[in-house]
Amino acid sequence: MSFNAKKTALCVGLCFLGMIGTQQAMAATEAVASVQQAKQATGNVSDSQGPLIGATITEKGTSNGTVTDFDGNFTLNVKPGATLVVSYVGYETQEVKAGTGLRVIMKEDGHLVNEVVVIGYGTQRREAVTGSVANIGGEKLNQIAASNAAQALQGRVAGVLMTQTSSKPGAEMQIRIRGQRSLSASNDPLIVLDGIPFMGQLSDINPTDIKSMDILKDASATAIYGSRGANGVIIITTYKGDQGAPAKVSYNGYVSFKKVFHKYPMMDGPTFTKFRQYAGKYQNSLDESDDTNTDWQDLYYQTGVSHNHDVSVAGGTNGGSYSFGAGYYHDESVVPTEGYDRVSVRGNFDQKVGEYLRFGLSTNNSYRKNQGVNNMYNVLSTTPLASPYDENGNLKRYNTLPADDQVVVTKETVERDKEVWLSENKGIGSYNTLFGELKCPWVEGLSYRINIGLNFRSSKQGGFTGTGINNKDANAVNSGSIYENQTRNWAVENLLTYDRAFGKHNINIVGMYSAEQTTYEQTGASAQDIPADYFQYYALDKATGQANLTGYNYWQSGLISWMGRAMYSYDNKYMLSLALRSDASSRLAKGHQWHTYPAVSAGWNIRRENFMEDLDWIDNLKLRVGFGETSNQSINPYSTLGGLAIRNYNFGNGTNYKAGYYVNTLPNPELGWEYSKTWNFGLDFSLFSGRLSGSFEYYIQKTNDILLDVSLPSTSGVDSYTGNIGNTENKGWELTLNGIIIDNKNGWNWEAGINLYQNRNKLTKLTGALDEDGKPAPDKANRWFVGYPIDVIYDYEYDGLWNESDVYEVTLPDGTKTTNFAILEPGGNLGMIKVKYNDDVLDANGVPTRQIGDDDRRVMSMEPDLIGGFNSTVGYKNLDLTIIGAFQIGGKLISAIHSANGYLNMLTGRRNNIDVDYWTEDNTDAKYPRPGGIQSGDNPKYGTTLGYFDAGYLKVRAITLGYNFDGIKAIKDFGISRLRLYATIQNPFVLFSPFNNESGLDPETNSWATENTAVSFSEYAGKHRMPIVGYNTPSTRNFIFGLNVTF
Amino acid sequence: MKTKNIKYIIAAGLVCCGLTTTMTSCNDVLDEQPRSQFDPTFFNTKAGIEGGLTSLYAHLRYFYGNGYWLNACETGTDEYTYAQSADGNFKDADLSGVGSMTPSNSIAGGCWGTAFANINTANGIIENGAAAGIDAALLAEAYFFRAFDYFLLVQYYGGVPLDLGAGELKFNTSTVRTSVRNTVAEVYEKCIFPDLEKALADLPENPRLTGTVTKNVARLYLSKAYLTYAWWLENPGGIPTYPECSRNSSEAQNYFQKALQTAQAAISNPGPYALQPTFYDVNVATNDRNSEIMLYADHDEDEKFGNGGVGYGWGSGGSPENFAYWMETWNYTEMIAKDPSGNNINPVQREAVQGLGRPWTRMAPVADAFMDGGVWEDAVKAIDSRYDATFTLSYFTNWDKSGGAAAYVVGANGSQIKPGESYFSWVPQSEDSQINYTGADGKLGFGEMPGHDDFVVAVNHISRKKYPCNWKIGIYRTDNAGGLGSKVNGGSPRPWNIAKFSEFYLIAAEAAVKLGNNAEAVKMVNVLRARAGKQTYCVNARAPFVADHSAEMLAATPATITIDFILDERSREFWGEGYRWFDLVRTQKWAERATTYHIAGSGYTDKDLEKFTRDIPKGYYLRPIPQGQLDGMMMSTEEKAAYQNPAYRN
Repeated sequence: MSFNAKKTALCVGLCFLGMIGTQQAMAATEAVASVQQAKQATGNVSDSQGPLIGATITEKGTSNGTVTDFDGNFTLNVKPGATLVVSYVGYETQEVKAGTGLRVIMKEDGHLVNEVVVIGYGTQRREAVTGSVANIGGEKLNQIAASNAAQALQGRVAGVLMTQTSSKPGAEMQIRIRGQRSLSASNDPLIVLDGIPFMGQLSDINPTDIKSMDILKDASATAIYGSRGANGVIIITTYKGDQGAPAKVSYNGYVSFKKVFHKYPMMDGPTFTKFRQYAGKYQNSLDESDDTNTDWQDLYYQTGVSHNHDVSVAGGTNGGSYSFGAGYYHDESVVPTEGYDRVSVRGNFDQKVGEYLRFGLSTNNSYRKNQGVNNMYNVLSTTPLASPYDENGNLKRYNTLPADDQVVVTKETVERDKEVWLSENKGIGSYNTLFGELKCPWVEGLSYRINIGLNFRSSKQGGFTGTGINNKDANAVNSGSIYENQTRNWAVENLLTYDRAFGKHNINIVGMYSAEQTTYEQTGASAQDIPADYFQYYALDKATGQANLTGYNYWQSGLISWMGRAMYSYDNKYMLSLALRSDASSRLAKGHQWHTYPAVSAGWNIRRENFMEDLDWIDNLKLRVGFGETSNQSINPYSTLGGLAIRNYNFGNGTNYKAGYYVNTLPNPELGWEYSKTWNFGLDFSLFSGRLSGSFEYYIQKTNDILLDVSLPSTSGVDSYTGNIGNTENKGWELTLNGIIIDNKNGWNWEAGINLYQNRNKLTKLTGALDEDGKPAPDKANRWFVGYPIDVIYDYEYDGLWNESDVYEVTLPDGTKTTNFAILEPGGNLGMIKVKYNDDVLDANGVPTRQIGDDDRRVMSMEPDLIGGFNSTVGYKNLDLTIIGAFQIGGKLISAIHSANGYLNMLTGRRNNIDVDYWTEDNTDAKYPRPGGIQSGDNPKYGTTLGYFDAGYLKVRAITLGYNFDGIKAIKDFGISRLRLYATIQNPFVLFSPFNNESGLDPETNSWATENTAVSFSEYAGKHRMPIVGYNTPSTRNFIFGLNVTF
Repeated sequence: MKTKNIKYIIAAGLVCCGLTTTMTSCNDVLDEQPRSQFDPTFFNTKAGIEGGLTSLYAHLRYFYGNGYWLNACETGTDEYTYAQSADGNFKDADLSGVGSMTPSNSIAGGCWGTAFANINTANGIIENGAAAGIDAALLAEAYFFRAFDYFLLVQYYGGVPLDLGAGELKFNTSTVRTSVRNTVAEVYEKCIFPDLEKALADLPENPRLTGTVTKNVARLYLSKAYLTYAWWLENPGGIPTYPECSRNSSEAQNYFQKALQTAQAAISNPGPYALQPTFYDVNVATNDRNSEIMLYADHDEDEKFGNGGVGYGWGSGGSPENFAYWMETWNYTEMIAKDPSGNNINPVQREAVQGLGRPWTRMAPVADAFMDGGVWEDAVKAIDSRYDATFTLSYFTNWDKSGGAAAYVVGANGSQIKPGESYFSWVPQSEDSQINYTGADGKLGFGEMPGHDDFVVAVNHISRKKYPCNWKIGIYRTDNAGGLGSKVNGGSPRPWNIAKFSEFYLIAAEAAVKLGNNAEAVKMVNVLRARAGKQTYCVNARAPFVADHSAEMLAATPATITIDFILDERSREFWGEGYRWFDLVRTQKWAERATTYHIAGSGYTDKDLEKFTRDIPKGYYLRPIPQGQLDGMMMSTEEKAAYQNPAYRN
């Protein structure tokens, strides 16, 4: 049996397609119901948004019925005195007496009993779900105009934390579902797009194409995705047409004006002058003068104008449906030249062929371009005492500072240079899913389905710095670089499903075999001295200076899986789900590649028990318990093999260029799966006819054998190896509440929702030596501490500043007199940062026995106490007002702006400084140390402690005011079935944020710890990859005007 | 028709199912083949091992040319102290109460991180080399570098582990996270001496490639290792060692003798090496890789190979860049002059030439060295060409190279200073009385002196703000194209000189002094002193200048050579190049020679010397084991504490 999985899997697919070819289309029209001539009932069906197309009208007790037309109208011949039953999926069924000119207004189903939830390899009614699955519809999602679905999802679902990692246009967000479990393997959730695991980035998907997002949070729900689902699963379903429905054309568009939320709080001229003089380290350079006061940020920022347009067509055929759409999104930053463009094209169709066969295709494609040179550090750090213009009013090339030359960067210079100074990234993503489904003619409920995913993503990153650009020397040689990479992925899933109801018994059994493989390739080159600046990075081969091939990379990884799942429910009262999955990953060592894990969950619909019958105020009450195991293999391919590092060298001037190698990673032939066991307890409820609904969940997840990239001590001679060491635990609870406060009273509606959650992450075990108390010794080098969360701050703890009152005289054992300060902080000065030190430093007489040192570093948790989001919509007739917000209580925020790493708070007067409350003899209770005092590196000693803030905040993310032009004849006559205009303010304000209170800045993170900071926070990179506030493109407040129209 | 279709469907479905079941054994998807990265098995091949050898050379760049390593080797000695822009790294090193020596500063970091990885690479080459068909001469390079790294470690930290996890001197493939330190004696006797002796036996006379090691390079390190070990055995200053072990001081003479013999063997059989005609020739960038230089961390203007992939556009001050000279360069760009129309301009700007370059003002020479009784006292300046070819004493104007149109600037005594002329100079202490410190430039407190068109300050006013720069290690580029050079802020593309043939004479002289052979010591130092008297070019006039003060130099050699004189001579020969801390620690003279020093303040115009006192306890003759090592070991707190050198334990 030497078939390889790819070939085999494709064979399966080809067979299937061949089969389709032989199949003739068969007429599926059913016999037309006979009509008894009697009386004609006519009317119109609508909901709060406008006419409902395709609502079903039946004569009660008969099979006689019809559906509403394009305008929501219907005509039906009925017996005299008949009752009409009006139904529509997702709405409460109504009964009305037959008549003419009826007006039926359908109410959305508050009980949500008919809500369908996508659970992976199938759907389930919300009522029958036993795992932890959250759902958010496209309409809710798009209440925030966002370029990225993750942004729109921020704060909307309990247990799902979206963290901004860059404030640049088109940036991605970090998604964490119920915290992180892995130390060095990936903690990113699996995204499934239209049924197939998605290998692109969320920004490749146009959020307005999304019909719904279902988030699988616990292991009993994710187990069927096996190792891919270890960090939770987000299932994205794009809009589909409705079978048999007439074509509908929709257009959504908006324009957005972006203003800087708050400028970075740099010193102005007079403040800086005073500060520099006080620091006493630098004097004005020739380009600086105390009477100049330049606000470089004002000269740099612009109002960004963004706009978005989407057109889609959806409809149905006989036995099928289709939907096509195209979108264009143009985003412009407040930083000149920086922007993002995306053109997306989406299509899907789904067609029944005969009685037993169905096939379909879903395709999502996008072209994207990021561009812009971000020069924030230059803008922020340039002295306010220098002018961008010389005495003749011409722009200067650069300003000389006491110890630096800084190139003049303003909006004017950046736009002047935009052809010769650029950085752009262009890419194409194409994500395609084909499926075929075959029903077994003899066994009712048995079907076979094949899903084939073919995906491709490429990007081409080009950069160019023209002659003399961003250099003091006007003749500095130009340079360009280019990197191209592409990711190819295929996936084949073979599924057998048996789905059948026997009386009160419902059974659903799925079996699956799947294989997938991903290949990544990258090539690149850089060159200097390119003959003409207009070549940009397109002709690096013409360069006459140094040219290098660089950044080459290749990897391939594969996964093979078997899965079986059985779901059973009795009378919708008792539900049970069992799943078993086996995964094998190429990334792990041979002999350790396979792992099998089970999942079980059960649900009890208490409300359906007889003893609950009298409790009318309870609509629904369901208890869920789940247990499951998942695993994680998200280490880099080839991690088991070890590696060599390269050191290039020249033997002589221009001769004997050679590459050197040394072992920097040891192989680990034992590397196996990391796996988690999760318990989940959930309670869903709906009360008072749906006026209050919600759910509460508690979970505990234990992860064992976590995959670690372990740093070795220098004396090993090798940097690190990847191993399975240690355990972690996540515990948490989630509460979601939705209420209808005013239910259509005199035209008023008011709904509100809130979600709250807390996750507690803990490292519970690390293999290694024990300390003298028999406890696991802290792994300081990797910064892993048993009993603490995975990500912690391990640093000194700020404890104010040293003042006269803190210093006292002490007598040493040998009789000499000194002070506690002199012993604790040799070389220190008053007004320097005081850090907490261990009590054992002081002897019985309060005399310090040593200076403050490494042993005084503290482990500090960064976890928030509570995270949540809220939303509320107030409507009056056609007008609605929606507020969406998010909040966090506690936690730690790392600000590079304030920390030593940012070089914007050096407190020396060398470059501009953020405007902080610094210590002077007259201001001894300041927060920031004395300028010009003791330093560590270029920054104040313990300067990193200045960068930690309480991360709590409450942020109103968007306020939207909308108006629906329903029932306006002029609009209807124009063929418009729905028209909505709205205006939104995004990021209007932030409350309760200590960081915002001090700096005025947005407390949301905007960078990875390796970016937008002068010196990378190495401690929050790599294994502890954390977002921080750096000097990225400033956060903005956006004013959006939009239009949705459907024909 | 309909039934027929159904049959097709069933058939196809069955085929599908059948194929599906075959897939259970398909494991291609699960196989891994890296294509863009090496796995360690490459290290067993000939190409891999040769690459390993290259990496042994490349690792030199990770401390030689690194400014923080230079700081660790110079600041706090009788040559350097911290300068105006010094951060904690430099103040910590000074030991004068402005900082402190701790396991987490960069001085502790030292060479620890780089050396062990390199030792492991050498272990791997030695272990796998023969099987891969590598000949003994190549393997000898690995023996050399293993000893080289251990020699550095043992001088810097004391005893260090010979077992990295897989056994003594074995290639480590274990992931063990514990470590045990050997004693100093074990490191010398089990590794340094046998490895260097093996290298000496197997290495070629002439280098395999430009700059690779030879028999005489091995002799240089062997003689220095004997010398250093001899001092350690003798231990005249009672300096403690760690881990503690007994030492037999009676064996010291034997090792001094070996040091002398080994050095003499090289001098009498120099191979491709020779002293340059003048000291200037040794150090001028255009003559890099000359016959006197035996080992260097090479660089050239190629960014990928010559600078390890780091660009030259903007240096960040990290290895593998050669950026050490920034530290010893004060911010000369702050000079201000008046042009003919009375406008202020900066007459001397950053330029990528030897003696200028990028200023970081982190390390300043102590003033004592330039004053009466110092190694560069006026009597020395007068005859020893090494003074001129060690320091940038005159700063030549270059505003024209950045497009400045002024024809001249106003100099001292109302003179006109044109482009390319000296705007400011350091003058000897003896001329101080003639200087009128008017602060004429308006900023830096310069003075005027009769007969000088440029502004002047006498060397007895050296301050933390302004001081003579180290010219020898300065930047040099060939692509300035008539301008100041757009890559002046990058690292220097020059090789960093590590070992010179001249050192044989000083090693031999030092050993001779210890053996009581004064005649031999005099003979040896005089070879270098005679050369130092010869001059063909004056760096600080930027012009040829022929002089021969050899006879005066020899006349000035004291009749009895002492260790202090050897140390003075080493200072004059290797000033500011990273030898000093090792020299003072080896000879146990650190505290004696460096406890007090004088320098003026950090202000722009500060000129009055202040006295500073350092605290140099005996325990500081070993540097702290880096905190990262202690943090990285999975050992008990007690074991970790015991791993640290005693002076740095809490």
